Amino acid sequence: MLVFTTGGSDAKAGYYSSTMLEQNPPILDAAHADFVVGGVSINAAACRRGGFPALARGVGCRLSADRSSLTLLFGAAAAADLLEAVRRSGAIAAVFSDPPTHRTVQLKGTDALVLRPEPGDRELVAGYRDTFMRVLGSLGYSEDMTRALLACPLDELVTVRFSPSSAFTQTPGPRAGEVLGGAT
Amino acid sequence: MTIKLDAIRECLEGVVPGNIATCAPDGMPNIAYLSQIQYVDADHVALSYQFFNTTRRNILASPYARVTAIDPRTAAHYRLSLQYLRTEDSGPLFENMKARLAGIASHTGMSGVFRLLGSDIYRVLDIERVPGESLPPPPPRRNLLAALRACTERLCGAADLDDLLARVLDGLGAHLDIDHAMVLMLDEAGGSLYTVASRGYATSGVGSEIALGDGVIGVAARERTPIRIGHFTAEYSYGRAIRDSLEKSGAAGIETEIPLPGLAESRSQLAVPILACQRLIGMLYVESAQDLRFSYDDEDALVALAGQLGAGIRLLQQSQEAHDEPAVLTEPAPPSGGQPVLVRHYRENDSVFLDGDYLIKGVAGAIFWALVRDHADTGQTLFSNRELRLDPRIRLPDLSDNLEARLILLARRLLERGAPVRIEKTGRGRFRLCVERPLTLVSSGTSGQA
Repeated sequence: MLVFTTGGSDAKAGYYSSTMLEQNPPILDAAHADFVVGGVSINAAACRRGGFPALARGVGCRLSADRSSLTLLFGAAAAADLLEAVRRSGAIAAVFSDPPTHRTVQLKGTDALVLRPEPGDRELVAGYRDTFMRVLGSLGYSEDMTRALLACPLDELVTVRFSPSSAFTQTPGPRAGEVLGGAT
Repeated sequence: MTIKLDAIRECLEGVVPGNIATCAPDGMPNIAYLSQIQYVDADHVALSYQFFNTTRRNILASPYARVTAIDPRTAAHYRLSLQYLRTEDSGPLFENMKARLAGIASHTGMSGVFRLLGSDIYRVLDIERVPGESLPPPPPRRNLLAALRACTERLCGAADLDDLLARVLDGLGAHLDIDHAMVLMLDEAGGSLYTVASRGYATSGVGSEIALGDGVIGVAARERTPIRIGHFTAEYSYGRAIRDSLEKSGAAGIETEIPLPGLAESRSQLAVPILACQRLIGMLYVESAQDLRFSYDDEDALVALAGQLGAGIRLLQQSQEAHDEPAVLTEPAPPSGGQPVLVRHYRENDSVFLDGDYLIKGVAGAIFWALVRDHADTGQTLFSNRELRLDPRIRLPDLSDNLEARLILLARRLLERGAPVRIEKTGRGRFRLCVERPLTLVSSGTSGQA
């Protein structure tokens, strides 16, 4: 499974991971890191003024090499409310779910920033769509339907970067809502 | 709101799971998957409350939520802005959602995990179409309004209850492509429903009984609400359980229950109360081996049809009671020959056995016993509904009890068992008892007599 890195900061991230990880391990362990950048559904929420929530479907996800920084990709029009709420508060919740197994993880952060896409993001969105379409296809959803569901105009891609500060398992069952175990 | 909730009901079926976003008082958002969005009416939906989780804490602190709903056919994507109003933990809506959730849980491998604690009712403040691609909607399978109209037109002119029920069941097949269906009538005193007509099963199952509260039909009847399940669920499937228990008890010898008809692999089920002036008189039940066969629109169509059926049953019953004519008692009993048939009657539940084979019980059993007693004592062969209705031996549970439904049930059971006794209609509210072989009558139980 590929782990995408934030563009232009690889060297710095490498240094960061070798020194800081021991003192302040990232919320995501390697297995969960693979999970969130794989062929899973991505949805995110933020709070607008007055306690009104906003939500949008993500069209891709990448993670810094040290797993401390997560970037979600959205279509600007479909996610307009969410982006506005993120700009206002910086708080975001993102949920990742694997439909065949119902395995579900929620990540939250308070330092979210709305940013422009980086080189490679268009390819990442196309790759995500192909991977997730295969997953949905195995469940019987038609290709036409999933292609439309996951479509995003590439010229309006926008990203939201945040440092996950808490993570929860949300797989239905007795452990739903538990904080994820420490990093490995 | 420009998009009406009832126009996007198909997106609420959970084929593509939705999400719910909420806000904590400190401004931290939360997002979770939704297993169920229930259409309540044009302005309200209900969500399942299964666990006391962050979503629940948040909506109790701040009532606003946003949920997504995706059309499984076109991928059209909607967002609903909701305001939490209240939670119901019993009653028709709760039971409806509980049954549906059991189907969803079973379909997704979550039986035993999904458990409904309450139905959270929300007002729909706004519906937004999310910008994005979508496919053209597939052509509708049929025009349901035209089909409903054709079905209801068929009901006009039914001569009697038997005819009316046949018209309903034939109409379902001809106009709605519903090939597995049954009608059950309420036995109010017994707290049960009995099958009086069916279509599309290897055996008719006429006379089979379901207790109120058992399975999808029994729960729907108890709560006076339609229940529609889109996937197989063991929890609400009683057909198989009853068959299994029958197979076990079969080894013990005497069959005392009639198997309920039903598809062994029923995946879609819709149970609709038949009401007359808001009073439950029976249930219309349809099913299919296909997942998600019945839509919200199918449910609406069947509720409308069941309303017509309820009114039709009541009208026939009233005109019957007004026009029942006393029987002509002069017809001599034709001679019957051959080996005598042992008719055994058990007083405690009015069950009747012919040569050891179970025939019927309850009110229909009491009617049969009265008929054969009169036939034996006086040679009477012609009877009227009126005299039966007044006959103290029959102990009709209620003045409004549908005697004709009991007679249909009895006549069908006699026919299906190939019994040497038959009931033939001779006119409105009148019938003849045809006895082909001599009958030996034995009654046992409290104050019974041979």
